[in-house]
This record gives sequence, C-alpha cells and structure tokens, in this order.
Amino acid sequence: MTVVLWSIRRVLAALATLVGVSVLIFASVRLMPGDYTDLVLGPLATEAQRAQAVAASGLDLPLPEQYFRWIGGVLTGDLGYSFVSNVSVTDEFAARLPVTATIAAITVVVTLLVGIPLGFVSALRAEGSAGAAGRFVSALGISVPEFLLAGLLVFAVSTLGLGISVGQYSSFAEDPARFFGALVLPIVVLSVGCVAVVARNTRDAVLNVLIDPHVNASVARGETPMFIVRHHVLRNAAVPILTIVGALVAVLLGGTVIVEFVFNVPGMGSYLQTALGRRDYGIIQTAVLLAAAVFIITALVVDLVSNAIDPRLRLTGGSRR
Amino acid sequence: MRTRTLAGGAVAAIALLALTGCTGASGPAPAATSEEVSPGFLAVADASAPAGGELVVQVDYDTAEAGGLDPQSAATARSWMLEGLVYETLTTIDENLAVAPGLATSWETPSDTEYVFTLADDAVFSNGRAMTAADVVGSLQRLRDTPVTWTGQLGPISSIEATGDREVTVTLSEPYTPFLAALANTPAAILPIAEMEAGTVDIATEMLGTGPLVASAHRQDEQWTFVPNEHHPDAATLGFSTLTVDIVGDEATRAAALRDGSADLAVLNSTDSASLLAGAADVRVATQRNTDFHYLMINSIGGDPALADEKVRFAVNEAIDREAINALVFGGSTAVTGVTPAGLPDACDPSGLASSMRDVAAAKSAIDAVGGLDLNLLVYTDEPVLAQIAQVIQQNLAEIGVKVSIEQVDYATYSGKVYADPSDFDLALSWFAGYADPAMVTTWWNPSLAGFSSVYMTGSPELNAAIAAGASTPAGSDRAAALAEVCDLADQQSEMVPLVLRPSTIGWNTAELSPTLAADEGYGNVLRHITEFRVG
Repeated sequence: MTVVLWSIRRVLAALATLVGVSVLIFASVRLMPGDYTDLVLGPLATEAQRAQAVAASGLDLPLPEQYFRWIGGVLTGDLGYSFVSNVSVTDEFAARLPVTATIAAITVVVTLLVGIPLGFVSALRAEGSAGAAGRFVSALGISVPEFLLAGLLVFAVSTLGLGISVGQYSSFAEDPARFFGALVLPIVVLSVGCVAVVARNTRDAVLNVLIDPHVNASVARGETPMFIVRHHVLRNAAVPILTIVGALVAVLLGGTVIVEFVFNVPGMGSYLQTALGRRDYGIIQTAVLLAAAVFIITALVVDLVSNAIDPRLRLTGGSRR
Repeated sequence: MRTRTLAGGAVAAIALLALTGCTGASGPAPAATSEEVSPGFLAVADASAPAGGELVVQVDYDTAEAGGLDPQSAATARSWMLEGLVYETLTTIDENLAVAPGLATSWETPSDTEYVFTLADDAVFSNGRAMTAADVVGSLQRLRDTPVTWTGQLGPISSIEATGDREVTVTLSEPYTPFLAALANTPAAILPIAEMEAGTVDIATEMLGTGPLVASAHRQDEQWTFVPNEHHPDAATLGFSTLTVDIVGDEATRAAALRDGSADLAVLNSTDSASLLAGAADVRVATQRNTDFHYLMINSIGGDPALADEKVRFAVNEAIDREAINALVFGGSTAVTGVTPAGLPDACDPSGLASSMRDVAAAKSAIDAVGGLDLNLLVYTDEPVLAQIAQVIQQNLAEIGVKVSIEQVDYATYSGKVYADPSDFDLALSWFAGYADPAMVTTWWNPSLAGFSSVYMTGSPELNAAIAAGASTPAGSDRAAALAEVCDLADQQSEMVPLVLRPSTIGWNTAELSPTLAADEGYGNVLRHITEFRVG
C-alpha cells in the first residue's frame, strides 16, 4: 500500500468516525434525564410557557430533523444560540476557545519538555537514585487527582499569600499579564498529571527498546551509550511516546473542565460544564463534537507522523510487533 | 484505584495539616455569626469609612431565564438580586420584613380592595427620562396580562389606572393581604414602558430601570459590571465607583477570594465555609436569616403505594426531628418552621403542630401496620446541605422501620423525576422561597394553583379553602388563626412537609468593605442595602 493511499484511508476513517461520533453525541444528549425547560422555566412555569420554550428552541421537531439542522449548522458555521442565555454560541466559543487552547498548548509543551527527559533519565538510570526519583515523581503525579490538587492549590495560594489570586481572569486583549497569570495554576495542575504519565510511558518505552536484540548487538559492537541512545533508542521509542502524547489530548480535554471550574477560568471546559448542568443541548453537542474532532484529528496526525517515523506500521495496521 | 486514592489522600492530609498550621487557627472554629450589630442588621456601613473604590462581589450562579433579563420572568433569588440593582419596585421591605415605600412614597387603602399609590417625583430611568404613572400602569398591566410565576403572587387585580400625574390606583376583585409585599419583589419592577412600546429597548437583552446602578457589561455565567445611575437620588453618596459581580461556581474558590482579598463580599452556600474561613484575617462570615425554607415532598401519587395513605405519610412526617436538623446541619443557626415561614407576623407556631409531638412509637406502629417501608429520598447535588438534611431524615426514619436510600443527582435529573408526569420518587427534598408575607408561599400547597405539585400531591378542598382564607384575611389575630389552620391541615396531610428555614451565609472583607446587611431577608437579596456600602 502506498503512503498516499494509506493516508487517504486513514483520513476517510477519521471522517467516518466523526460522523458516527456526532450521531452518538446527539443521541446521548437527548437521552440525558431532565429537560432544559424545567431548569430555565422552573417548576412554577405554565404549560403554555413550556410549550413556547420548546417550540422556540426547535425541540418539538422530529429528532432526525433536529439532528440534520444541528449538523448542517455546524458545517456551515452556524452554531446557533444558547437555549438558556440566547447568546450566540459562535461568539461564546470564539471567546472561550483561545483560553482553553492556551492552557492545553502550554500544558503539552511543559509535558514534552519535562516528561520526556524525565522518562529518559528514569530509564537510563533505572537502577540509580535518579531512576528512583523519576519513578516516585511520576507515581505521585499520576496518583493525585486533578480536583484534589486544584483544591489544595486554591487553598494554599489564598492562605499563604503567594501574590497569586485565584479567579482573577482577564482577556488577553485587556491585560495579557493577567490573562497568563490566571492560567498558571490550571496549567500547573494539568501538567503534573500529564508529565507523570508521559514520563512513566517514556521510561517504559525506552526500557523496552534497551532490551531489544539490536541494542544488545550494538553494545556488543562497543558503541558508546550516547551513540546507542541517539541512533537506536530515540527513533524506536518515539512512536509509543508519540501515541501517549496524542492520547493526552483526551485527558487534557477532560481535565480542563475541572480546572477551569475550580480556578474560575472562562474557557470551553467551564462553559461545557455549565451547559451540561442546564441541559443546554446545542452547546453540549457542539462542544463535545469539537472535542471529539480535536481528538480524532490529533490521533490522525499521530498516525501519520508515526508512519513517517516507522513505515512498518502501515503494513501491520499500526501494531509494531 | 486504591493506590491512587491512598496516595491522593496522603498528599491531601499532609498539605492540609501544613496549611492549617500556617493559618494560626486552633481549637473549634466558630460558626458564622448571626449577631445583630444594631436592631435588624448584621452589619451597618460606617459612614466615615473610605469610599469610592471598586466593589467586587462573588456569587454562585448567574441569571438564566427563558425571558432573558426581563425582570417579570425572573424566577430565582439570584435573578431578583442582580436585576434588582437596576430596577425598583413600588414598595420595598425593610430590615424587619415590613413593607416600606419604594417608588411609591405612600399609599392609601380606601377599601380592602383598593390601593391608591402616590409616586415618587424624583424617580428617573438611567436614560434620563422621568418615570411616569403610565410606566407604573403599563408595568403592572403587563405582569397581569402575561402569566408568569409572579402574576399569581400579585393577587386578583381587576384594574390598574392612572388617577393623577403621580397617582396610580389598583383595584382588586377581592381582598388580598399580601398585595403590598408582592409588589416589593423584582418581578413587579417598574419598567420603561414608553421605550418598550417604541421598540427602542428590548428588556429581554438590556436592562433600563430607575435603580441605583446600570449594567455596563455582562458575560453570561462569567461577570457583570455595574456603574452608578447618575440620575438616582443616591448617586452622589454611593460608596463605590463600580460594582463587579463575578459568577464563581466553586464554593472553595469564593472562599479563597475572600481570604486573599480579591473579593469584597461573597455569597456562600456551605455551612462549613464559616469554619474554613475562621482563621482568615479581615474576613467576617455572617448568617442572614431567610424566610426561605427546606421541605420534604412525600409522593402520595407516584411514590410507594403505602404513601397514598395519610396515616403513613403523617408517620414519616412525625418521625422527623427538625431540631436535630437545625443542630446537626445548621449548627443551631436556623429555626423550625411550618408552612408559613417562622418569624413572619401571623405565621403559625411550628411547636403547636401535631407532628412536633414526635410520637415515635405511634409512628412506628403506623409503619409496622404496612409491613415496614423501603423508600428512596431524592436530593440534588447543587445544594450540598440537602444531602446533610437527608442523612438526618434517614436516621430518624430508621427509628420507625422505614429504610431510606438517599439518591443524589444533578438538578436536571432531579427535576425530571420530581416534576415530570408521572413523577418518579418516594421522598424528595427541596426549598421554597418564603417571600415577605406569610400567606404568599401557602399557595404552593394548592396543586391546582401551583401546577407543579399536582404530579405528586393531591391536596384537598379543605386545605385550598384555608389557603384562600389566609390570603384574604387582614393582618392580625384573625389571619394568624387562618394561617394556623393552613399549617395544621398541611401538617396532617403531610404531602409537602416544612422542615427548617434556609439561611444565607455571607462573607465579607472587613479591611476593604463596610456593608449594610439586614439580619432578615425575604427575597434572597443580599445586596438590598447596597447604596449604603462603602469600599475603600
């Protein structure tokens, strides 16, 4: 199979997945217990008010029509309005997406810059104190849930007077320093878990390569450790590391919901959480679809890059062994 | 999973110990104070305190109604509070929950169905136009003609007329004692009718009122910014330059903002917040009494079949130890109540209700007669205190042979189970706004008027008649007797069982803010006296 054909098949598979996911998201949201009209209008509302709200939001239409209206709108850039606030979803996403994207991007950078070296050191010095320290740090990072760490940090910074205020968000346009200042703690919380996961997986990937026969042969040939790492370990460990970094995108998407809520950062995560609580279907569907698209595209990119690193993958359907 | 939990717990414990040590707090933490600094007030602003700074308030949730920012569709206490900063009403309530002049400086009642209001001559909308009698007539007429929740509370209005340049007469079809109190809440606000009719203002998206503040910016679920209404009589003496209201969903984050000084005042929900803030410098936490109250729904229609029997429901009602709820959940800071909120004039005495006898043996006998009961108790997670109340009830009912499983769900799921037809629960906890007149909330015990309760309670013609009598009897001993009858009947029927009043917890930074806070509140408006606040 040629690279081009393989890549086209991968892209088509990603698109088909996205369509399937959109149907699943739509169905799941409609199956959620509770109704936004109950929440917005309250139990004291009259039947007439309730019927009016349902009609105004298009929820009285047949489900297939609702689905195609929604997906058609998404494809044409019309994300509609919040059922609850009547605010344009496009405007809300435009304001909130950069916030979450900034948190996610910086977290990924921190994760790569810290997690991969930490994993390498932990593997290459597996028997020494550096290896033990690496294992301890990654175990600790993986063990502490985000909500707990976030809660502790909120308490710590407000109690110890570290000069950091929680929840003092300002948009980048208004005050860049305050914008980044408000994101520091969310990034720290998310990075702890991500660095730990990447470090742990990097360590395992490197250790797996180190016991490969060709590495033993290389040692037998008398090649230096640095040469072995550069020429054998780095390339072969790259694919599993890349895969786990790709998977972290999903972790980040879930994690931002928690940290944005706790640190009062107005990003997509906190917006989605509010929408979920109010059963604001249009926002939930579109936000989750967007998250799914980011994940699917990331997985696609990882696949394509992995294939470039190790062409054997397209022959084995992605499995290395 | 176990490793993760243990490690997380260990880190939390170590960190909490270290941090607690740093706060200097020791010994049992004090509960929020409800001590009055002057009659009727938890705090009174110091007129000599610095003024003119930016006032930052944090609250737990934003307005969110189908009618947008239209005050007539405002249905939650937070909407009443936020929209009440911009809009004013004909009457208001004072620190004793008594009706006081608002946009109407005075009124006369030539008969028990006629109210003649004299309007203030200095009321000006924030666009500079003076309020007229036509605005008052149009606003009340609109509320009467467009049925929303508050339309029913306003009573049986038969006509609203401008009877002078600054005089409006409202005639009722029958006496309705809560009328003046109902006029005091935000949904009865006076709107800019001229602009609305001209189409220059859409009050669903833009607020234009005669109140002390003007909303200059709003991002839903994020933040409000208010600036002074320069036309308001209090504009010159306002103690702050701007008001920022941050919507902060997480209680711990609001407490942190009080601790580090980034918020001047915060509305808190958890009864534990006072303890957690006990070591914080310059932070005071107080409990404001509300007329709101928690109640238990006993589903006589869609619940366990045994609950259709009044004797069984009364046994459940009788087994509940309301004083234990007050002590264990609220640290003794609140009060037991009947249908009419305890503390309001003419409200019934909850200690006189049959269920207050707590004859556990009799209750157990009624439950034994049906072979014991296994019930679910539904609560929603947005209000953590409900789970705590549920635990007390669970223990109380265990004493009489009722096994209770507590089910915690989000509010959307809760409302789907409780208010849908058919309803799907045995027991459920919630709370009612108690308003400022004891007869107002009684309406909800009449399923044909309330609507929402008809899926889980049947009520009775006798109770409906008592509710109507309570609303039409003039204040005084006769009304107290009529309302006692409502409480007694509702207690006996045990379909919606009042428990204890639901207080508000308010924290503020004493170094920055000198507020005025009433000790009692009827419409959930923590910022009722904001024109007296001073911020340095």
